[in-house]
Amino acid sequence: MSDKYKDILSNLSNEVDQETLLLYLQGKLSEDKKHEVEKILLQNEFEDEAVEGLQEFKDKEQLQYMTEMLNRDLKKKTEKKKKRKEKLQIKDQSLLYLSIFILLLLIVISYMIIHKMLNSN
Amino acid sequence: MKADKYHDITDQELLEKFYRDHNNEWLGILLQRYTLLLLGVSMKYLKNEEEAKDSVQQIFLKVIQELHKYKVEYFKSWLYMVAKNHCLMKLRDRHGKITAEISDRLAAKPEEETDFQKLVQNDHRLDLMESALKDLNPEQQQCVTLFYLEKKSYQEISDSTGFSLLQVKSYIQNGKRNLKILIEQKQQEELNRK
Repeated sequence: MSDKYKDILSNLSNEVDQETLLLYLQGKLSEDKKHEVEKILLQNEFEDEAVEGLQEFKDKEQLQYMTEMLNRDLKKKTEKKKKRKEKLQIKDQSLLYLSIFILLLLIVISYMIIHKMLNSN
Repeated sequence: MKADKYHDITDQELLEKFYRDHNNEWLGILLQRYTLLLLGVSMKYLKNEEEAKDSVQQIFLKVIQELHKYKVEYFKSWLYMVAKNHCLMKLRDRHGKITAEISDRLAAKPEEETDFQKLVQNDHRLDLMESALKDLNPEQQQCVTLFYLEKKSYQEISDSTGFSLLQVKSYIQNGKRNLKILIEQKQQEELNRK
């Protein structure tokens, strides 16, 4: 008999993924799904406050685009350092090869000059 | 939105990977999971779409900097606090008001089992819940019943009762809180009788 009350008491921490949340905000979920999302929101302060804020955006269809733009920017920020590092490493290595080549060239030229001078003597 | 190819990796695992090699890409993957939530929380406090977007970017930067400095145990709770504090600071700058800042580092452990659940673990306590529900005020009783027992959405409850969506949510939240108090009181009364 009391089983039906268990839902009120349940505070097990479920989460809503971003896609479902977007569909909820855009009013594209069935009433059953809406209820499920709302039940989870009541248990998660972070998600609940976020939904309150997201509902204030004028164009809910733009939310996905905004999120993608922010994610793209985030990706740039978190990848930048690594790429620059890799670039520097490649640059460093090519500089090393060039130095070795010049050094070898100098040795060969010096050898040829010395050899020529010795021969002329 | 693109599917997260790291879907199977938990937040905790991503954090551990970051702490191992300090590669910010792990943080990028982790933070992407919360972009929409951060946007929502920022909008809730700042009430301006452009400011909310800027705020999300600033929170990202703050998180990346802070995670290099110290270890965070419960990422989601910590991130929520960082986001809230950031918005409160922005509001303070905007209005020149002093706003209490919650300590970033003292992010609470997520509640897996609350005191409330412990309070009502057995059938007898669920029976108490049944009678406590009748003691709620009519609006709360109606909304809690429709939401939890009849599994209606906020919209459906709003349509059938005439309450606004905000009122529905508030009656459910307050109703739930009051139920907890009523159950505690009833338990106390039973103990006193024994």
